[in-house]
Amino acid sequence: MEPRQWEAATPAVGIALITLAAGALPLVTRDSYYLDVATTILMNLTLTMSFRLQVSTGQINMAHISFMGIGAYTSALLVTRVGLSFWATLWIGALVAALLAVPIGSVALRVSGPYYFLITFAFSEVVRLFFNNFFEGLFGGPSGLVGIPKPGRLFGLIFDGKLALYWLMAVICVVVVVALVRLDYSRFGLTADAIRQADLVVETLGVNVFRFKLTTFVLGSFVAGLAGVFFVHYRQVLHSSDFGLEPMVLLVVFTVIGGTGSVWGPVVGTILMTIASELLRELHRLDDVGRVLVTAMKRDLGLATKHRVDALERTLDWFDKYLK
Amino acid sequence: MSIELLVQALLNGFGLAMVYVLVALGLTLIFSILEIINFAHGEFYMLGGYVTYYAYALFGLNYFATLALAILTVGIAGVVAERLIFHDLRGKALNAFIVSLGLLWVMQAGAQLAFGVLDKPVPSAFSGVVRLVGLVISVERLVVSLSAIVLIVALYLFLRLSRPGRAMRAVAQDPDAAALQGVNIDAVSALGFGVGCALAGGAGGLLAPVFAVSPAMGALPVVKAFIIIIVGGMGSLPGAVLGGLLLGGVEGLGALFMGSAAVSILGFAMVIVVLLVRPRGLVGGA
Repeated sequence: MEPRQWEAATPAVGIALITLAAGALPLVTRDSYYLDVATTILMNLTLTMSFRLQVSTGQINMAHISFMGIGAYTSALLVTRVGLSFWATLWIGALVAALLAVPIGSVALRVSGPYYFLITFAFSEVVRLFFNNFFEGLFGGPSGLVGIPKPGRLFGLIFDGKLALYWLMAVICVVVVVALVRLDYSRFGLTADAIRQADLVVETLGVNVFRFKLTTFVLGSFVAGLAGVFFVHYRQVLHSSDFGLEPMVLLVVFTVIGGTGSVWGPVVGTILMTIASELLRELHRLDDVGRVLVTAMKRDLGLATKHRVDALERTLDWFDKYLK
Repeated sequence: MSIELLVQALLNGFGLAMVYVLVALGLTLIFSILEIINFAHGEFYMLGGYVTYYAYALFGLNYFATLALAILTVGIAGVVAERLIFHDLRGKALNAFIVSLGLLWVMQAGAQLAFGVLDKPVPSAFSGVVRLVGLVISVERLVVSLSAIVLIVALYLFLRLSRPGRAMRAVAQDPDAAALQGVNIDAVSALGFGVGCALAGGAGGLLAPVFAVSPAMGALPVVKAFIIIIVGGMGSLPGAVLGGLLLGGVEGLGALFMGSAAVSILGFAMVIVVLLVRPRGLVGGA
C-alpha cells in the first residue's frame, strides 16, 4: 500500500490490534493476577481515552475522576438500596454522570487555561468532600461503602469470576475505544484539534466552541461514569479517596506520557504505565524470595560468608522498612 | 447570638490566614514569573517545618533565628529546584504540572526516608492568652500572625523598591521586553523561584509549633493557598491578602454556623462562585 493508504488504514489497524490483544489474553493465561492487571489496564484505558477526548480541545479537566465517582456511588446505592440490577445501573450511573456534567461543565467552561484547571480541581474536591463528609448514612462517610455485589446474571451467563469480569470490561473498553477513535478520525476530531490550536479562529468559522467543548465534557463524563460503575462492582468496596487528587493525577500522567497529540497516546501510556507500576510492585515479591534464601543460607555456613548473609539481611530489613 | 461570639469566630478564622497568605504569595510569585503552577510548593513548606524541628526543637536555636534559617535554607532549595528542574518549563503549564507532581512525590518519599513517617512535635515558643474586651486570643497565634504580616510587608517592599524586585515585576509583565532592557531572565527566574519557596519555608517554620511536623504536612496549606490565589486573582499581591482574609472569615463563620465538616467545602464553593462572577479573581488583571 502507499503511505497515504497506510495512514487511512491506521484506525482500523489500531482497533483490530487492541481488540485482538484483549481477546487473545485469556487464551494465553487465566492466572487471576494477570487477569486482574489486564482488567485494570482496560479500565484505565477507558478513563484515559475519555480524558484525552477533552484534552484534545485543550481542556485539562481535573474533575474527570469525579464523574467516575458519581457513576460509582450512583450504581452502588441503586443496587444495594433500591435493588436494581447492575445491567440497568451501568447505564443509569453513566447517565447521571453525564447529566451532572451539563451544569458543572457549563460553569467550568466559562474560564480557560490555568483557571479552568483550577476550577475543575475545586469541583473535584467539592465532590470528594461531599461523599466524605455529608449524608454519612447514605455514602458511608470516611469509612466508605463495603459489600457491593458483583454484576450477576445476564442471559444465563453469571458475571462474578475474574475471567467473566475481564470479558465484560474488555467489551466495554473496546466499544469505547472504537467510538472514540472513529470520532477522533472524523470531522469532530479535526474540529477539536483546531479548537485546541486556535479557538478564536474556529469560532469565526461558525463553530460554537463553547457548545463543542461542553459536548466533549459531557461525552467524556458519560464514559467516566461507565468506568466508575464497573469499578465499584469489580472492587466491591468504595471510598471517596478513590476519586481524589492522587488517582486523578495518575490519569493525567498515563495520558500525558503516551502523548496527548494523538488518539493512540493514551493507549500506549496506559498500557506501559500500568505494567510499570505492577512491575515495581513485584519488587516486594523479590523481597519474599530474598527472605527464603537468607533462611536457607543461614543454616550451615562458615564464618567467612556469614557477614555477607547478614549484610543481605540488613538490606532486606531496610527494604521492608521503607518500601512496604 | 452576641456580637462578641461573631467577632471571636472571625478572629479564630483569621488566626492562621496570614500564614496561608505567605504560602499563596510564593505560589503566585512563581506563577507570575515562570507561568507555571508549582504543585510541590507544600513540600517546600514541609522542608521549612523540618528545619525548624531540627534547629529549634532539637538544637535549641532561638525561635526567630530558626525562622530566618528556615527561610534561607528553603530559599536555596528553591533556587536549586529552579536551576535543575523548572528552568526549561517556562510557560509549559501541563509539563510543569506533571514535573512538579513528580517532585512532590520525590520530596515526600525523601522526607519519609530521611526523617521517618511519624509526626514530630515542636514545642510552642509562646504560651498563654491575651484577653481583650471579652475576646480571647492565644499569644502563639498572635506572634505567628504578626510574623507573617512582617514577612508580607518585607516582600512588598522588596518587590517595590529593590532592583531584583523590580526586575521580577518586569519579567512578570513581559519577559521579552524585560530581557531587552538588560534584565537577566535566568537569574531573575531562579531568584523568584527561590523567594517564592523561601516564603513557603517561612510559613512552615511559623506553623511547625502550631501543628506537628510530618512528611505530608504540605497538603493542607497548599490547598488553602490555591483557594486564596484563585479568589484573590493570580499574580496579585493585594489579591492574595484579600483572598486570605476572605477565606479566614468564611471559614471562621462557617465553623460557627455549619460545623467543621461543612467548612472544608466552603472554601471550594467560594472559588467556584468567585470564578463565575469574576473569572480572573477579585483583584486579577488581564
